[in-house]
Amino acid sequence: MNSCPKEIVEYMHEYLDGDIHPSHESVLKTHMQDCASCANHFQELSKVVALVQGVSHVTAPVGFVNGVTARLPKEHKTVSWRR
Amino acid sequence: MDALINKRIQEVLKGDQTAFAEIVELYQDKLYRVCYRMLGNKQEAEDMAQEAFVRAYTNIHTFDTNRKFSTWLYRIGTNLCIDRIRKKKPDYYLDATVPGTDGLDMYSQLAASDERPEDEVVKMEMQERVQYEISRLPEKYRAVIVLKYMEDLPLQEISDILDMPLGTVKTRIHRGREALRKQLSSM
Repeated sequence: MNSCPKEIVEYMHEYLDGDIHPSHESVLKTHMQDCASCANHFQELSKVVALVQGVSHVTAPVGFVNGVTARLPKEHKTVSWRR
Repeated sequence: MDALINKRIQEVLKGDQTAFAEIVELYQDKLYRVCYRMLGNKQEAEDMAQEAFVRAYTNIHTFDTNRKFSTWLYRIGTNLCIDRIRKKKPDYYLDATVPGTDGLDMYSQLAASDERPEDEVVKMEMQERVQYEISRLPEKYRAVIVLKYMEDLPLQEISDILDMPLGTVKTRIHRGREALRKQLSSM
């Protein structure tokens, strides 16, 4: 892999950003057909993306809003009068 | 959504805290999620996300209603989390660069405070492991990876939130991906 063109890894990232020029894409694909090491590198990067995207969503704990309200500075007196 | 938010903001500006509680209700999950993914700890995430809302409240007069409220809120939240992460680690971590490695390996030279033994890491559930590896990333990569892959935000919005050029966001995402690739290579 040390003899691979330096820009190949750069093209992998362009590809993963969905932002790759067609000419770079064809260079990348052609290269990966011949280079198992780069193909593996690319597969690992794709796996990272899938793993990170696959982490499930968490939600704020119960009582979160009340917790914020309790921490807010007191309302201005002028407003309380108007109510 | 933005029209409703701007209406609520006007009410908050008049001193109505109930209107602010409605804003918190709408954005609590988004903000808590980002804080949790960046910090990897529920208690800290709750504390930072609540603090972010308090700061949004006290600075609401500085918010430009022509802009997106969530971007502004995310900015407050990510800044707080980044500060928290920096405070937790020793000073030398901050500027440590390893010559000739393009900045990639600086984190690996230094043990994080909550580093776990290798055999324990191997036994983790997949989701727990991914979260753990994210929390071992340097904070500058962590923020972009969380916003890009967990919040699914466009690169331009990430650039607005973190107040850095688009090119920097891209470079950090690339390096963050490479760092995670190395960390997760055993999976």
